[in-house]
Amino acid sequence: MAAFSALALIAAEAEAADVEIQAQTAAQAYEVGSPWDERGLERRRIMQTLGFSAYHLQGEYEPGKADYQARLLLRLDSDFGLSSHLGSDAAGGETDFGVAGGAFYAAGLEPARVDFMYAYVEGRDLADGWLGFKVGRQPVTDVLGWWSFDGGLMRVTTPFFAQLEAYGGFEQRGGLPLSSSRYEMQGMWRGSHADFDDAGSPTARDLPSFHEASPAPAFGFALETNGPPWVHGRLSYRRVYNTGDTITRQLQDPNGGYPTASGMRLSSERIGYAANAGLPFLGGIKGGFAYDLYGAVVSQAFGGAEVYATDWLTVGADVDHFEPIFDADSIWNWFSKQPSTSLTGRVELEVTQEISFSGSGGTRLWRTEGDPDTFGQGECDAAARGSGAAPCNLGDPAGFDPVSNGEAADFRRNEENRSIGLLADGLGSLAGRYRDGGGIFELRSMLQAGERGRRVGGELSGEKGLDGGRFTVGSRVSVYDWADPTREGRDATSFGYVLAGGFQPLQEARMRVEWEHSLNDLVGNRFRLVGLLDILVLR
Amino acid sequence: MSGAPKSGAARAARRARAARGSVRGAALVVVACLAALVASWTLQAPEEADASAGLRGLAPLSGDREVPLEWMPPGTSASPVPSDEIFPPQTIAIRFDHQKHVEGIGLSCKVCHEAAFDSLDSGDRLLPDPTKTCDSCHDADHADLANVKAGTDANGQCSFCHLGADAGRGGQVARTVIPKPNLRFPHKKHLDRNIDCAQCHGRIDKLELATRDQLPRMAGCFNCHAMSGAAQGEAKGECITCHLTDRGGKMDTTFATGPLVPPEWLHMAGHTPDWIDRHKTIAANDSKFCASCHTEESCAECHDGKVRPRKVHPNDWISMHPEAARQDNPRCTSCHQLQTFCADCHRRVGVARDVGPGMRDAGRRFHPPPEVWTTAPRSGGHHAWEAQRNLNQCVSCHSERDCTTCHATRGVGGGMGVNPHPVGFENRCGSALRKNPRPCLVCHATGDGKLEACR
Repeated sequence: MAAFSALALIAAEAEAADVEIQAQTAAQAYEVGSPWDERGLERRRIMQTLGFSAYHLQGEYEPGKADYQARLLLRLDSDFGLSSHLGSDAAGGETDFGVAGGAFYAAGLEPARVDFMYAYVEGRDLADGWLGFKVGRQPVTDVLGWWSFDGGLMRVTTPFFAQLEAYGGFEQRGGLPLSSSRYEMQGMWRGSHADFDDAGSPTARDLPSFHEASPAPAFGFALETNGPPWVHGRLSYRRVYNTGDTITRQLQDPNGGYPTASGMRLSSERIGYAANAGLPFLGGIKGGFAYDLYGAVVSQAFGGAEVYATDWLTVGADVDHFEPIFDADSIWNWFSKQPSTSLTGRVELEVTQEISFSGSGGTRLWRTEGDPDTFGQGECDAAARGSGAAPCNLGDPAGFDPVSNGEAADFRRNEENRSIGLLADGLGSLAGRYRDGGGIFELRSMLQAGERGRRVGGELSGEKGLDGGRFTVGSRVSVYDWADPTREGRDATSFGYVLAGGFQPLQEARMRVEWEHSLNDLVGNRFRLVGLLDILVLR
Repeated sequence: MSGAPKSGAARAARRARAARGSVRGAALVVVACLAALVASWTLQAPEEADASAGLRGLAPLSGDREVPLEWMPPGTSASPVPSDEIFPPQTIAIRFDHQKHVEGIGLSCKVCHEAAFDSLDSGDRLLPDPTKTCDSCHDADHADLANVKAGTDANGQCSFCHLGADAGRGGQVARTVIPKPNLRFPHKKHLDRNIDCAQCHGRIDKLELATRDQLPRMAGCFNCHAMSGAAQGEAKGECITCHLTDRGGKMDTTFATGPLVPPEWLHMAGHTPDWIDRHKTIAANDSKFCASCHTEESCAECHDGKVRPRKVHPNDWISMHPEAARQDNPRCTSCHQLQTFCADCHRRVGVARDVGPGMRDAGRRFHPPPEVWTTAPRSGGHHAWEAQRNLNQCVSCHSERDCTTCHATRGVGGGMGVNPHPVGFENRCGSALRKNPRPCLVCHATGDGKLEACR
């Protein structure tokens, strides 16, 4: 922060520097209901951002010459509704372990969390365009995901249509100061233990799954093409480490202890590549993958092609493969898991410059290691054989022990019984848009249906600027229907609408209010109120 | 328009000499006028042509015939019309036959558009100065635009070139309006590199009226603009080489005619109505391309947002999201950290196991009964299948402790020894153990034989 204050002063000194200050205030009020009863979480949220940018710190900007800028965005995310659903005898219980014996304590919950979304100094086009750098908290976006770290990045751009990027620092992790958990690998519940072990506070043993966040050293590089617009590819590699002590066994050992693991160990190591190529008068192709070197799995792969059949018609096809991966500290990398694969065809119609439609249809394939329709009977029969009992009745498997050894266990581990089983969902979508200079009208609809459930529905929305954009009115109407075969009584049809109005009293300020009302059989009426205030000051 | 009858060609030549003040210029005009005289003998007068084949110079080709693609600016096959946002709509209130002037009379582009050869700004006026060009041959005098004088010849009448001319009512002509293009374009730099007009504008010499359709297409610009950032010269492929930018170097995308969005052929990034569903594959490949227009906030608004983005999560999302999470698991983790964002809320409403006793009422189950979901043989409704299909869904509510209750080995603090590993795990566990032993030690005791086997 001190560095940025200094930069602000420098920028103020440099008459030619362009300075920008922005702020957004978002107030939200709504309720999150429990699936079982009237109990609901009262969300009374205020989100405040404050941003500062200073461009052309070097003074006069000349295209192609060295250019420097500094940017930061600070965010406060607060919820005044925490614990408000609890009775007076448990007031503050969600954030205070000392209340009601910790019966309502939600570890990691913070009434007002502050983080830097980004804060960096950047130099571009140094050394006749050969070099660039970025220092501070910064995002990196590529086939490995949307990721953020604190550190430095150096970019070398060559005249030979290639660019090299290398970076190093510390991954942004929740629980560390001014940080968010958004960018961590999945699978670990981490946060601050700063208040642990005080009187009335929990200990690490009370919450063995809630791990203390520690700095996570990280580095990576990328090699990508630069220049030609009809082809582009980027190869990315990244490695992140976990540090610090962390509880291993989640259940107390016979001696009453919770062993820990310590030291630097891998968090994630991935490599990926993505590319696309196209001809303006014909079409394009794209593809990419991300490979998890730790788990030795392709966590993501995609490909697609589209053809510009006419001036107004584009047709295409896509494939998308996804397998969940987790932080290397997590146990879930080593659980049986399978990828899902989506295959879709797509049509886009540009009826006029103002009116266009996109439609798609296809399937999503879910895989299992074994056939769910027959596996259970086989397992049951094997268990019965092992115990010398009569053939097993799957509907009433008396005495079946799911953790027994012997023939049932052998059956479960036999590769012949774990061949891949497939289940398919049908996918469909239709979207449309009408846009002119002063407004936009949109349609979005979707369908996904199969043995695992169904979702279908759509919404119409419109937004119109009045008086040259000084006033804005908007609305949204939706109908959705869903069914979940694993959760009895949770099927529903929902109707909802949103009414919105905006006002721009000054060039620098914009306000907006939204009222949302949803209605379904499960929760009845649900309301949401959103107020937004955006301020942007340029100098 | 008013004015005394004059000898058009002679008067024009005199005026041209005076205006240019150079022998070279005079010679050029004399040649032009001679050519015009020859042309007037060999070509039909427009009015005469009108009687037979229609008035020329009102459209690129007479009769509004379609211009052959090979005569259009490069890139027209990809973009049939120029961008409204880059080249705002124009009003061309003039009749002009380029073919007649170039092919017929033999004038070069420079004779009329000389200003282009010194122009460094796309907003420069590049239309001919009538006193230096038109009046040289046409029997008119534009020296005083408030009092333009028409000659006696047919080609010196206002209506010969101007639309909306009405000499009987003050000589008003309709105004030609060509708004400033919203891009950087130094004609001089291109012309100095011997890039001739047709390389960007197509074969205007074959056409009559040049319209917006003869303005360049971005696909054509890329014939040259494909150089890397550090390359010598300035034909670089970055968007901001040509497009206008804000103070931070991001492209200006808001214009009176609408938002400026990429064409579908550029990185396959057409911002179609379903763009939000498709953008990940493009951003994964070339996020710098996205960053030409978008700041970090554009991504954060959805991917790290604190206000639910309605384009992603429609109305009543809270009620609908369990089914969406079952069906569409890749999308959840593109924005949400399961163990914090998702599970934080699930713990608070009791849709989780690893919570304080006050948060989860006894007897309440989210899942089917144990005899289907957990304890019975793995029939179709067993949780093992759902976990294999979509493990992320499990992780959005359950902590490690929930799973280890059954899946840890029997020797470790009460685990039941249900092996969760996939087939073939034994062949790769050694590598995993070396890189990070922590997950192994969650379920296995340090001296566990299976752990030793992996080691």
